[in-house]
Amino acid sequence: MNMVSLDKKKFGSFILELSAEYTVYAPGKAGGKTEFIPVESEDEIDLKTLVTDLSPKGIFFPHSEVLYEYDKEGIRVPQKETGKPIAVWGMRGCDSRSLLMLNKVFGSAIQMPDNKNFQDPYWKEKYDSSVIFGTGCNEPLSTCFCNWFEGGPHSSQGMDVFVADAGDRFLMEPVTDKGRAALDKMSSFTDSTEDDKTTAAQLASEAQGGMAEPMDVNGLGEMLNNKYDEPVWEEVSAKCINCGACTFSCPTCHCYDIQDEGKGSSGKRIRIWDSCMFPIFTMEASGHNPRALSSQRVRQRVMHKYSYFPEKYGEFLCTGCGRCVTVCPVNLDIREVLKRINEYKKQGITNG
Amino acid sequence: MNTTDNLRKTIKTLVSEKKVDLFLGWEKGSLPLAATPLFVTTEEEADRAIFDVTCGNNLSIYFTKDKKQYADKKVGIAVKGCDARSVVLNILEKQIKRENVVIVGVPCNGVLDKKKVLAATEGREVLELMDNGDTVTVKGKGFELSLNRQEILSSSCHACIYPDAQEYDFFMGEARGEVPNEERVKEIVDFQNLPDSDRWEQTRVEYQKCIRCYACRNVCPSCYCNVCFVDQNDPKWIGSTCEYTDTVIFHVIRNLHVAGRCVECGACERACPMDINLLMMNRKVAMEVKDRFGDVAGLDIDGKPAMSDFKEDEKQKFIMG
Ligand code: SF4
Ligand code: SF4
Ligand code: SF4
Ligand code: SF4
Repeated sequence: MNMVSLDKKKFGSFILELSAEYTVYAPGKAGGKTEFIPVESEDEIDLKTLVTDLSPKGIFFPHSEVLYEYDKEGIRVPQKETGKPIAVWGMRGCDSRSLLMLNKVFGSAIQMPDNKNFQDPYWKEKYDSSVIFGTGCNEPLSTCFCNWFEGGPHSSQGMDVFVADAGDRFLMEPVTDKGRAALDKMSSFTDSTEDDKTTAAQLASEAQGGMAEPMDVNGLGEMLNNKYDEPVWEEVSAKCINCGACTFSCPTCHCYDIQDEGKGSSGKRIRIWDSCMFPIFTMEASGHNPRALSSQRVRQRVMHKYSYFPEKYGEFLCTGCGRCVTVCPVNLDIREVLKRINEYKKQGITNG
Repeated sequence: MNTTDNLRKTIKTLVSEKKVDLFLGWEKGSLPLAATPLFVTTEEEADRAIFDVTCGNNLSIYFTKDKKQYADKKVGIAVKGCDARSVVLNILEKQIKRENVVIVGVPCNGVLDKKKVLAATEGREVLELMDNGDTVTVKGKGFELSLNRQEILSSSCHACIYPDAQEYDFFMGEARGEVPNEERVKEIVDFQNLPDSDRWEQTRVEYQKCIRCYACRNVCPSCYCNVCFVDQNDPKWIGSTCEYTDTVIFHVIRNLHVAGRCVECGACERACPMDINLLMMNRKVAMEVKDRFGDVAGLDIDGKPAMSDFKEDEKQKFIMG
């Protein structure tokens, strides 16, 4: 199947068709903020918002997730309520790329000491069967910087179906076999015309042109290598109050804590989002804290995203969605931090 | 001379005469809707200081938390009325010494709440902002709006009765003292008049939005406990999930921990990524504290914070029911 065209008047019936097969998530309003919420009809969907306040990572990696429950009889993994796989409508390129990154962590096999391969079953159960309908961004925001990395406003990485918003219609193009199979089961749309293809290409190039000049991030990871004690950390972190809002809204931050909530002889083991910006994140039982200072924690956040992750997985752990820029109460702009660090390049300091 | 010019001049003098090692102010940030904290150590840097509707940050946050490194330095700080109360509270709670701070008050007409600006632009991105006093002009791609200042102010400003510092070394204009404010109690009275079940429902719905990022606690200048109750796991005081049973408890306890200590600066509410009304409850408790103990947090540098003091004739009803 090639590109198809969905008349916006038929969007409602398309969502109904999709709901029959999948549990559908889409951007919507939840208490004044925008986030990805489960939807059943067109009316609940916010088609306007570009970058939702909360990232969609919570669909696959919820804030608090019960890993198992226990009592004297043994342990039980909670069963999923609905057997339907997940479909996401309206995910932007930065967010769909973030899922590929998270999948490297949770979805790829890690060899355990007993030589068995381990993959995170909680993530896989939701992510592997999901289908992502991603939308191209026609008017990127001033805080968007996906073009610094391998993304872009009309990038389709991490999507199963790429959707271009062409005013009165959506132009949908399958990217993966999974996306193709999903579209095959539906019928609300028509074949696309040559005109549609030109329109889609035009939207993509206009969007690209609407973005500010990217910073050259080549070699950023190598440059950060071993730079633990540079004065730059103190300088860029001075205003950070370690509130953690950046990491909670980031689509790629994935650190978690495991907590037991028990009472008497039964209880639950829960996985909960955590943040490297919190002093307690690295607090040891002895009372020693290897990252006691705010500057050390800001360094960790930057290092993890732009040095350790690329070293291990070959790409930056940042998609340039700009959420951390918008949400930060003291306007600590990660782009400015990266620019400041990039100055090292000019100074010829390449490796610590 | 306008406030910004006046402020720059004062900072310059303080820095050049070595009256302070560091001055905490605000400067224009990378986004139009929020200024960013400025750390001045040289006269040139003083020229970047500003004061306008975007200067929401309560800079006294830098005296507590692990920023305690400033505690032994001579620090100058620009303060709105609420921020000044934080500084005073920090002094009364012995986090900093009065002789180590130079308090510079700015006449405040309220600071904006980003969420309200975005509501006014119907979500369209703002690329430029101008503070004209009674109105604020915002510009974006293909639009320009002149907004009534009142419409976009932080809810803390709507409820404010001490817009100017009551304790200061320099004031950039004329300090106004206590300003009567009817609006302050309206929201609370309305809430109190609801039937129990509606009050509970409203509370539950509001706190259910919480994602437990703790930004509210972390931006709060009064929340600087070495180990916050939410972070303790032995004993564990409350559950850590986003179920409302846990989030309501978190907020109720935090609310009581800042009783007589919350200066109502609104930093928590502006920082909250989930747009949760955090101030109403705090304000209610503040009114209760004033009524029962006669104390307003951080107002009187010679006073004692309500929760650190005991008077024999104190009203006990708050605790005894
Ligand atoms: S949002 Fe800003 S202040 Fe909060 S932890 Fe992140 S960088 Fe620091
Ligand atoms: S670091 Fe910031 S810009 Fe990068 S993915 Fe996370 S929230 Fe988005
Ligand atoms: S909520 Fe309570 S325990 Fe936590 S930091 Fe604030 S005052 Fe301390
Ligand atoms: S800032 Fe908002 S979302 Fe975060 S913990 Fe506080 S109330 Fe909850």
